[in-house]
Amino acid sequence: MEKENNAKEGIKGWISPAKYGKFGIERFAWILMRITGLGLLAYFIGHIIETGNILSGEGAWNSMLELTQTTEGHIFLALVIGMCVFHTGNGIRLMLVQMGYGIGKPARPDYPYKPQSLNMKGKACIYATIGIAALAMWYGITVMFG
Amino acid sequence: MIMRESIVMKIHYGTALGAVFLVAIHIMMRMTQDFHESLQYENVIANYEMIGYAILLELILILISVHGFNGLRVILLEIRQGQSYEKGVTYGCIAAMIALVVYGSNTIISVHLGLL
Repeated sequence: MEKENNAKEGIKGWISPAKYGKFGIERFAWILMRITGLGLLAYFIGHIIETGNILSGEGAWNSMLELTQTTEGHIFLALVIGMCVFHTGNGIRLMLVQMGYGIGKPARPDYPYKPQSLNMKGKACIYATIGIAALAMWYGITVMFG
Repeated sequence: MIMRESIVMKIHYGTALGAVFLVAIHIMMRMTQDFHESLQYENVIANYEMIGYAILLELILILISVHGFNGLRVILLEIRQGQSYEKGVTYGCIAAMIALVVYGSNTIISVHLGLL
């Protein structure tokens, strides 16, 4: 039991650099999924409160717009777009994996015990999702600054 | 009330897919005109006054609130476990979700009905 408790790293386990070298891009996707999820939830709460300003009339709405429609505001929104696209793409990959797609066939565990599920298809999906998120951010920037 | 975790995860995935579809429509609505122009007070009010768009916003609000706060619950339960902690996290997330839905619904309904 004590051994189990010692193994609990909590939030420190997320940021341990040793884990990234050991588990590769899948680990990076795992942590990014959680960071983007928390970021999007924070943005969503802020967005609901921000749009609630409309009830205070045109003046309050316009002063809120002055705060958000700035260069910093647009960069922040571009980050939100990137987080949203990554979270969506990686989420769809995880749903497919949980349904059994793309995880390979079961095989005898031989040394060096590489899991079948952590294969090139999964890695390619993660890289593609990061690429699409970057493209979406770029498109968002062209719309907002255009 | 105890719900099986497998059911909760199905709800999590269902709300995610629904939200992706509806948020895509919500963003495309901003693209029907110039982005900055679409955020002007009159245009936003006109959006809220359309019954279809008001329903869309309400659905997005509910789907993302359920998905977001369940995601937060899952993250918090991954970090630490324990009977009272898990209960506290679950009920805390449900309460926060309800509060956000009520706050957002108040905005949508009030503007839609013209109660400004």
